[in-house]
Amino acid sequence: MKVVIIGASFAGVAAALEVRNKHLDAEIILLEKKSALGYIPNGLHLYWEKRIDNLESAYFITKEELENQNIHCNLKSSVEKIDTVKKEVHYLCDEQEETITYDKLIIATGSSQLSQKISGSDGEHVLKYKGRYEAEAAIEKVESSESVTIIGGGQVGVEAADLLNKQQKQVTLIESMDYVLFKYFDKDMIQPLQKKMLADGINLRLQQTVSSIEETDNQQVRIQLKKETVKSDAVVLGVNVRPDLHFLDEHVQLHMDQTIAVDRYMRTSAEDVFAVGDCIQLNFGEESEMVYIPLVNNAVRSGIVAAANLNQPKVPFKGSLRTIGTSAFGYYIASTGMTEAESLFTNQTIKTSRQEMCLTSLPDASTVMMKWIYDADSHILLGAQMLSNANILEKINTLALAIQTKQTLEDLQQKDYFFHPSFSPMISTTNFVPWQEMRDDVNEN
Amino acid sequence: MKIEHFLEKNEIREVTIFKQLILNGGRLSYMDMLDYLKVAKASLDNDLDSISARIGSLSEQVNIYYDGQTISLKMDDDYSLQQIYHLYLSQSVKVKLINFLFKYQEFSIMQLTEELAISDSSLFRKIKELNSYLKEFGIKIRNGQLHGEELQIRYFYFQFYNYIENKEVFTDLHSDKQITQAVQAVENFLKVTIEPENRQRLAIWMIISKNRVNCKDKKYQHLHKQMQTYLEDPLYQKIRIMVLRYFSRYSIEVDEEEAMLHFAFLLAFSILTEHEFHEYTLMRDRRAPIASLDTYIVETIIIHYKFRRLPYMLERDMFYHLSHIHTKLYFFKGDIEVYEYEEMLAKEKQFTGRNLVSFAHTLLTTTTDKFMIIEDKENSLLKMELLKYISLLAIVTFKMTTIVQIGIDLKMETIYTETLNQMLMLNMRHINGIKVETYQPDKEYDLILTNERPSQKVQYGDAKVYVLSEILSSFDLKNIQSIIQELNS
Repeated sequence: MKVVIIGASFAGVAAALEVRNKHLDAEIILLEKKSALGYIPNGLHLYWEKRIDNLESAYFITKEELENQNIHCNLKSSVEKIDTVKKEVHYLCDEQEETITYDKLIIATGSSQLSQKISGSDGEHVLKYKGRYEAEAAIEKVESSESVTIIGGGQVGVEAADLLNKQQKQVTLIESMDYVLFKYFDKDMIQPLQKKMLADGINLRLQQTVSSIEETDNQQVRIQLKKETVKSDAVVLGVNVRPDLHFLDEHVQLHMDQTIAVDRYMRTSAEDVFAVGDCIQLNFGEESEMVYIPLVNNAVRSGIVAAANLNQPKVPFKGSLRTIGTSAFGYYIASTGMTEAESLFTNQTIKTSRQEMCLTSLPDASTVMMKWIYDADSHILLGAQMLSNANILEKINTLALAIQTKQTLEDLQQKDYFFHPSFSPMISTTNFVPWQEMRDDVNEN
Repeated sequence: MKIEHFLEKNEIREVTIFKQLILNGGRLSYMDMLDYLKVAKASLDNDLDSISARIGSLSEQVNIYYDGQTISLKMDDDYSLQQIYHLYLSQSVKVKLINFLFKYQEFSIMQLTEELAISDSSLFRKIKELNSYLKEFGIKIRNGQLHGEELQIRYFYFQFYNYIENKEVFTDLHSDKQITQAVQAVENFLKVTIEPENRQRLAIWMIISKNRVNCKDKKYQHLHKQMQTYLEDPLYQKIRIMVLRYFSRYSIEVDEEEAMLHFAFLLAFSILTEHEFHEYTLMRDRRAPIASLDTYIVETIIIHYKFRRLPYMLERDMFYHLSHIHTKLYFFKGDIEVYEYEEMLAKEKQFTGRNLVSFAHTLLTTTTDKFMIIEDKENSLLKMELLKYISLLAIVTFKMTTIVQIGIDLKMETIYTETLNQMLMLNMRHINGIKVETYQPDKEYDLILTNERPSQKVQYGDAKVYVLSEILSSFDLKNIQSIIQELNS
């Protein structure tokens, strides 16, 4: 069996490794348009955080490691067209037109930061850093800049604002919604972080959309908002990512948002063609609702699922809860599942509860603010958000598993946990605590 | 634009035959039909043949018979003229063309001639004809695409799928989870309840919006200009948040203007109930163009009719309806004439009187002046909105008419009084704004009809007294009518 995988980022690599795991005799070819593979998309943040000395260390896998697994890696191979009837992939390699046939094709082309609405956003003065070389250019530009404007207050934008602020840059952050990180957090939960951003001197411009970015004569950048302009030395594009799928043929059906339509086995509408990672919509939780959630966790898991279903549909994708965790401006924040604001898109009646819990049994214990979102009737947990000064990030995975396995609040009260006064409070923070005296905040509704 | 514009000449004639039969109690002589249509015999014969062929499969529900002299129509109780229209429209090439355009958004001449099985030249002719009607919407078909302001394109499709196409089939075909969710989201985000009929209209709008959202190079110039005073509007702000959040869940970079399109639609097409609209009026900026015109027109009506005080709910109702008229005129251009303008106008004139129609014209001119709209007689939107002004004025005058209480007090033998009382009441039934009954001494009346001059006038209190000369004479009835009119004003 000849398996061709387009794209060698997390989704493509995970798929390749799992195909190898499942099919020892399969011929596996990875086509990657860049000259290297395995770069971690937010390597730049690791560098700015001084977690790594240079971008060379920001790789999760190398070509050699893959080739040791007998996975062929064709780098600098940019796919131009696929023919799902003849089962061919046409690509350019060093400006040479090449054609490769396949038995199974996995599309894992990922996504990039693009904006078709902001004129000038594809210019050189606009920094993007999903790729290694873009990141290197960004390092250089930012070092020589005093002021930086970030467009988009999502995870990338907020992290970048914090890291650039620590480098004494004057940071302006522009967000179209009325608060930052709105996809993952409800407004009430993110307020402490947003206040800290303002206190740290971030020029936060909410409910603003950018219409254009222009370079001025004195090497500055002028960013046009609705009624005003912002000038800075550099601009970082932190808007939503989008896939580029120009090479598909008409047999591969797309969703309204131009992502590839796949079933729960990652099969597209074309026979023997699968799609994974950032170019598809995923089930949000167990529901039949399809949402675009471009996260590495989904890329890896969908890659593995596609590999498991190459010959027969065996393993359905369990869905994504859009679990994230990060730290910025002195806070650790994490979220999984549905937010209260987002529940307005469903028919489900939800209830929420907010609690401030101690993290240990010691007198100087740090606290975590938790928000629980659950079904009003069944009490099944649907979403959770956390914010703390201490690193509580790993706890979100427990709650993600609780949602995935449909635990109720009552089930969570019974969840087994270890007790040690130095490391835990009387009741584990992820065991829902109904007692008034154990928490600062009462039920919201 | 009229519904007929989607049909060919002979098809219009065929539909007219149905219409004439309906207007004439289902039967019309062949000669009268010829006269009405002003066509040659051969052509009417052709039309009748063509009708038979077209409704062949429906012979159980609808049929036209011609016995050599009379043409007659038989139609099932649950079948109506509207379905006949839909039958013709569903086979119309122009309707198919618009459907194709909606589905694919772009076409090549070859694609379309193949799909519609017509020649290049007739395709060009159809496009040319359609463009002449689309002109009032400010849109046109060019290079296989619909060009124009995005709001106008969506509005045209909305009218098209509401009135030209079968909306049930359209919604069934396109409604999916995303659409139901979008409609639900409007209710949840705006904290409103949408009535079932409005829910369907909103669903049609959402289907169109979903279809259009990915189109490239959308134009918003007029919308932008009109929205300048509404950017801080509380309803717009809520819609904006809803739209941004909705699209953040997809790989779509949505235009800021997407929210503006929904704002204009929700306010112009009475999606909100009166109660919810009222809540909005309490928060909206009263100096913004639509709100200030609403107030101005309400005041103009009050002054015109010299109303001292309007009932609170009637005033709210006026604001509700006026705001829809004004929002539509403020944001939109063109319309499909769903109601026959001339016929409706004639009916309304009959019912409401000439004065009301001319006052409605004055109101429309005020609006077009304030909004700087060119008053073009062919503009269907202006015609349709004029009908709405007339209806609103009719509602207001109807509700504000004081009921004149009339007591009949005939001094005769009982056997005659009862019969004559009844006959008098029957004769006066067509007069608006009166309540007639046999005189009861303990009640108060505005007018007393009697046949003998009262000996003591005080007997009837403040009521005006009319002494009938000859009961049921036209002379008396005419006098009574003018007294009622006087009492009413």
